Amino acid sequence: MKIAVCIKRVPEMDVNFKIAASGKGVDEAGLKWDMSDFDGYAVEAALQLTEKLGAGEVHVISLGGDVVQETLRKALSMGAAKAVQLKCDAVPYDAFAIAAALAAELKAGGYDLIMFGKMSIDGANGVTQFVVAELLGLPLVHACSKLEIAGGKGTARREIEGGGELVAFPLPAVVSIDEGIARPRYPSLKGIMAAKKKPLEVRPAQLGEVRLTVEKMELPPARAAGRIIGEGAGAVPELVKLLQTEAKVL
Amino acid sequence: MSHVAFALVLALALGFFSYNAQRLVRYLRIGHDENRLNDIPRRAWNLLRIGIAQTKILRDPLAGPVHALVFWGFLVLQVGALEIIAQGLIPGFTYAKILPGPLYWLFLASQELTAAAVLAAVALLLYRRIVVKPRRLQGDGVHSGDAIFILSLIGALMVTLLVTSATDRALGVDHPAAVQPLSAALAQLFASVPHGAVQAIHHVSWWLHALLILTFLNYLPYSKHLHVIVSLPNTFLSNTSGPGTVGAMKKMDLEQETEVFGAADVTHLSWKNLLDGYSCTECGRCTSVCPANITGKALSPRKIVVNTRQRLLEVAPAIVGGDDVFGMPFIGAARGDAESRAALLDHKLLDNFITEEELWSCTSCRACVYECPVSIDQLEIINEMRRNLVLTESRFPEEVQPAFESLERNGSPWAFQPSERAQWAEGMDIPTMAELWERGERPDILFWVGCMGSFDDRAKKTTVAFARILQAAGIKFAILGQEETCNGDPARRMGNEYLYQMLAQQAIETLNRYEVFTIVTSCPHCFHQIGNEFPQFGGNYEVIHHSTYIERLLADGMVPLKHETGEKLVMAYHDSCYLGRYNDVYDAPREALKRALPVVQLVEAPRSRDKGLCCGAGGGRMWMEERVGQRINVERKKELLATGAEAVAVACPFCMTMLNDAGMKLESTVPVYDIAEVVAARIEARSGDGEARPSEGRSEAGE
Repeated sequence: MKIAVCIKRVPEMDVNFKIAASGKGVDEAGLKWDMSDFDGYAVEAALQLTEKLGAGEVHVISLGGDVVQETLRKALSMGAAKAVQLKCDAVPYDAFAIAAALAAELKAGGYDLIMFGKMSIDGANGVTQFVVAELLGLPLVHACSKLEIAGGKGTARREIEGGGELVAFPLPAVVSIDEGIARPRYPSLKGIMAAKKKPLEVRPAQLGEVRLTVEKMELPPARAAGRIIGEGAGAVPELVKLLQTEAKVL
Repeated sequence: MSHVAFALVLALALGFFSYNAQRLVRYLRIGHDENRLNDIPRRAWNLLRIGIAQTKILRDPLAGPVHALVFWGFLVLQVGALEIIAQGLIPGFTYAKILPGPLYWLFLASQELTAAAVLAAVALLLYRRIVVKPRRLQGDGVHSGDAIFILSLIGALMVTLLVTSATDRALGVDHPAAVQPLSAALAQLFASVPHGAVQAIHHVSWWLHALLILTFLNYLPYSKHLHVIVSLPNTFLSNTSGPGTVGAMKKMDLEQETEVFGAADVTHLSWKNLLDGYSCTECGRCTSVCPANITGKALSPRKIVVNTRQRLLEVAPAIVGGDDVFGMPFIGAARGDAESRAALLDHKLLDNFITEEELWSCTSCRACVYECPVSIDQLEIINEMRRNLVLTESRFPEEVQPAFESLERNGSPWAFQPSERAQWAEGMDIPTMAELWERGERPDILFWVGCMGSFDDRAKKTTVAFARILQAAGIKFAILGQEETCNGDPARRMGNEYLYQMLAQQAIETLNRYEVFTIVTSCPHCFHQIGNEFPQFGGNYEVIHHSTYIERLLADGMVPLKHETGEKLVMAYHDSCYLGRYNDVYDAPREALKRALPVVQLVEAPRSRDKGLCCGAGGGRMWMEERVGQRINVERKKELLATGAEAVAVACPFCMTMLNDAGMKLESTVPVYDIAEVVAARIEARSGDGEARPSEGRSEAGE
């Protein structure tokens, strides 16, 4: 069982972002970076699959500059066997361009299962895995919350509006992972030390054509402060009026 | 003929004992190497103070003096035992032949009186073991049989000693009755007994005494009473009492190529941890003061040490070989085939003897270490095993992971942004180190705020109060602001040495960049960490806890205090473990409170100072749920409330949170204040005519 997990390095999201001078991205000064949350679930799910089957290995692939090696090393310290950096100076915004590079790498790898997080937590497009599946001609299961592999076949549970959906699929396949499948393990020091000796291959990314670019990025408008219109029953008519005319919720 | 027989018996006894001694030493050597011969003067002082003077034994007001008596008696009676052995080998030998009369009489009197006192002590101890059965002597699979046997042996030694000297007198040996009052009285009993019979009794009694000594010696290696031999060297070799080594965790070499980090088994511990196992006499003092144990959790420090010894005796024979001697199997020796040997090696200290649950229950309060009369370091074993769980196995309570991740990402165990770190200081006109540095200025002190003091709403009030005191006293100080990061103490205490070292090195880098010399902090955990553990990584600073600093400012009359007396507030001060037992700061916070007199009246909880009960948050417990037993903080708060205090004073943000939470659970309205808040509330507001105030304040404080 050979599993590939495609992971992305993203900034920590719980900060107050500033727009970069170019107006087309965020100011990266002072940001902390880590593996995208859903990708972390995917790595964990992949590791658990191989542990459960008692065979196979997990490879992790990431696209970007040398800084992504840190994210790849983290996955190696969690237990992945090999990492591949598809090197490019700037990660394009276009999911197709990225998917083409990933598909080129994955095609040669002979993987039984290709895993993604259901989306990156920064761009939040959730598109790349679809394009990769299409380029490789493989079935895709999106946003799995449970995943089992037995006898060369997979079954997965997907959360859908108001219920769940159990799907079966043949291998090889592409799956993307939703939260709830497994909490990513905390790498032990033993794992971190072992990761230093694991192979990390670097090759140029064979990016596809970039047809989508960001023109402008903006922050949501600052919320207006609350207003006190009065106290007690006397304030009610004014409140009702404002809810009708200003907030338009009544 | 009988001298030849004695020589044979003696040789056999010594031979058997030395075989056992070398066996035990060989077992120790399966542990890691560690140098414990540095700082000899301090070690010698500990040996005298703790070992010989029995200062720690005497912490128990009842059992303490009785045991100390037996120990000192043991020392005195060794002189007599040597005479007996010499007598056995050299016909007709007595000290009388080499000592001048009065000195010999002194020797006789010392033996006689000591024997009587020890006999009385043994009777008391037997009564205690058999009838009273104190709680701390129960549990952890501890059985009184061993102790009762030894006590009986000691008793028999005393009886035979007295009978021997009494029959000696009855047979006509004439010493002044004044130096042998008991024997003289006993000798009267033998007056009517025929000479031959007395001679026989004397002979038997002498032989019994001599044989009992040799039996005792050879019983020790099979018993908890091995502590008779091991506890003095253990005290000498221990790091538990001494400046710079108190409570400082061992530095780990993380670059070292190894499969196992921390300790999963006895082979991963140091030889000194294993010697601790030999030294343990199962008195249970450690367990009786353990906050986790008191409140019904699985942890018992005694069990940790006893298990370490049990596992050592189980596995060491299989590792070092030499299972038996003269075809006689030894206790704990590995017998049988390769399969059972493999099964033994497959066992480990972790899981098979000591569970995860026990290890995570520890609050690192150091009460166990502090209480141990023979200087065992239970905490070091716990810490090493926690390291194994985290660094090798990544096994820890679920709640801990967010704290680790947050420390990594945000430099704080809570998910706060570094940019919010100095929000408390807004509008207070407090410079950061970076700002001063840019202006080419240096502060007198760096105020290290700590994560709790920076982010926790309640603790921020302490932070502000302390800053106000510094401002009122005219101290030139700065903070690091956004550049401050957690010093890593929680990570280290939770076994994550890797994360700790990253954080510590980062903090040291920042401090060294600004050439910081003096640091004051309101958090005892930061105080301990930066002051006692950063030197391991090249961070050497003068670190002062805010309680000490405030006390000094008050003593120097630098804080202008209000004049009006106000209403007297009855306060109980709660000792923080990392301030008290870790750093011996007990008086400064109390003095600071008293100097806020006459408003504050101090009362003491029954468990205070070095016997203080933990708040329950240390050792990373702050980030773990307390699911089993009663809550430590509630237990502690009850105790503090029982003093009748109208307010509780603390000097630690963790204690503050824990005691506040406990207050809510107990629906108590008794408030908790940090000493900085108590003092800050008494600062005289500076008004236009207040110029004379500071000097008046000085005279007031000086009274």
